[in-house]
Amino acid sequence: MTLSFTLRVTFVVSVLVACLHIGQAWAGPHSTAQAGSQSGSGHAVSFSAEQVAHGAQIYAGACAMCHGADLEGGHDVPDLGTYFTARWANTPIDQLAGYISRAMPLMAPGTLPPQDTAALVAFLLHQNGVISATDAPLPMEEARLAKLRFPVPSASSVMGGKP
Amino acid sequence: MKRRDLFAASLAAGIMGSTRRVRAATPDASAALGRTALHGTIPRIVPVRAHADQIMDIKVCLRPFRPAGPRMDVEHVAGKTVVHNYGHGGSGWSLSWGAAYMAVGHAAATLERKVAVVGCGIIGLTSALTAQRAGLDVTIYTRDLLPHTRSVRANGSWTPDSRIALTQQAGPEFARTWEKMARYSWQTYRDYLGMPGNPIDFRDNYTLSDTAPDAADHVPVPADAAKGTFATTGMPQSSAEFAEYASRISDIIPAPELLAGADNPFPVAYARRTPLMIYNFGAYGHLLLEEFHQAGGRIVIREFHTPSDLADLPERVVINCPGYAARDWWNDKSLIPVRGQTSWLPPQPEAPYALEYKGAAMISKSDGVMIQGYDMYGLGEMDGVGNSFEHPDRAEAEKAIAIIGDLFTRFQLRDG
Repeated sequence: MTLSFTLRVTFVVSVLVACLHIGQAWAGPHSTAQAGSQSGSGHAVSFSAEQVAHGAQIYAGACAMCHGADLEGGHDVPDLGTYFTARWANTPIDQLAGYISRAMPLMAPGTLPPQDTAALVAFLLHQNGVISATDAPLPMEEARLAKLRFPVPSASSVMGGKP
Repeated sequence: MKRRDLFAASLAAGIMGSTRRVRAATPDASAALGRTALHGTIPRIVPVRAHADQIMDIKVCLRPFRPAGPRMDVEHVAGKTVVHNYGHGGSGWSLSWGAAYMAVGHAAATLERKVAVVGCGIIGLTSALTAQRAGLDVTIYTRDLLPHTRSVRANGSWTPDSRIALTQQAGPEFARTWEKMARYSWQTYRDYLGMPGNPIDFRDNYTLSDTAPDAADHVPVPADAAKGTFATTGMPQSSAEFAEYASRISDIIPAPELLAGADNPFPVAYARRTPLMIYNFGAYGHLLLEEFHQAGGRIVIREFHTPSDLADLPERVVINCPGYAARDWWNDKSLIPVRGQTSWLPPQPEAPYALEYKGAAMISKSDGVMIQGYDMYGLGEMDGVGNSFEHPDRAEAEKAIAIIGDLFTRFQLRDG
């Protein structure tokens, strides 16, 4: 659920520290590797602002009707926020991109071209508080995506709501 | 907790252009009734025996009201990631599953497998169960278990926007959050319908009045400018400040039907019938505890006094569900008590319905007949605001019971 990030700076700093700690100590259940991904593998995730904007358009047209305008999902539809990041954290991103391109959108699977899929992944990362390492776009090729891992949730995605 | 006056609600909806208003204003139309019963069929109503000498219990609760809405943010305290889930006003039961879903999402995003839940009222229990369903390993730390928590001092019916926030202070974004919580909760509750013991059930709720739905006495009292507002005084000053969100989910909540003329079995001029979801505390509470234990949950009886007490817990993620106790334990002075009192008469399963009349509400439940004076003094949403007197008031209980009792002394059995 999208919530306003009215955070005190001290909270941000302290939770950031906590999350880095968690990221190092905990390998996620879906992970095949040990290290956290934001810095761990040496391949920081990058995506471009154009991809995020394009992904937002694709999302609004093909995804929002089920997953909700705020990625909140629902009783019978998976969310694409906190639960989503917990499920995919540390997983190679080609698996997420592959899943989206094979299975989504449910009423017309396999219809998204690779550039739309990459844009959607960029949009989902951005909406979940991932900061792009550089301005370079997220690659479309499976082999290159396989070297990137879905980042462990950042401070801004763990934090939410208003005090 | 408080049942809204559906007449007032229909007036508000009418202003917004709802078709319900039209139905209310033209009793003869009564089209809705024709859908569900043969026209002219009088519902068979067994009178409720409402007498003060039948009181078996009087319960008082303090709704944990926050003007900005429930606290559901995440903090880092005492080495723990603390996900707050408290301050749901008179809507805790109704919003519980949706609020739990949001809170557990924050907990899951830490990627920790073990979480602690502080508190075992309805918010704590549903948070714990939701965390288990998300694959987490859960320990509940609590001072009291359900029969003793404030949660069971509610009236136990679907009231998702009762004293949940002030419109201004909560802002438009909370309205959307509220809608998500309410929809999610409503859908989860359906899973508990039709089960042995009826943990969750429906009652026909009759909203009764001697005066027409659009009469002056049903119009909300306008705000008194001289009294100010929460923004100027630090306390809510009028009903008009309280948020109403129910119209956002009217597509999934059964609508009221007018019982016109001969279809109205009550000795009052106006009656409406609305299916109302209720929570039977005994059956439902035990069921949730059973589910929690069956899924491997543990309960530790423990009292916390300051946030630093959390440092001793083995879990690194804590979902904080203390209800009104957050005022003391988390030093949250934004919590405003809203007193509510219910009295309980022995169960009358032969009269399974609910009604509201002259500011008193009755719900016939499996564990007793609940009678509550929710608005006997014309205060509307302001009834009980700022009152932390958590002690039974027998005179208030008897006054509410007398309203229901008087109704049934005038009741005439028809149809044999």
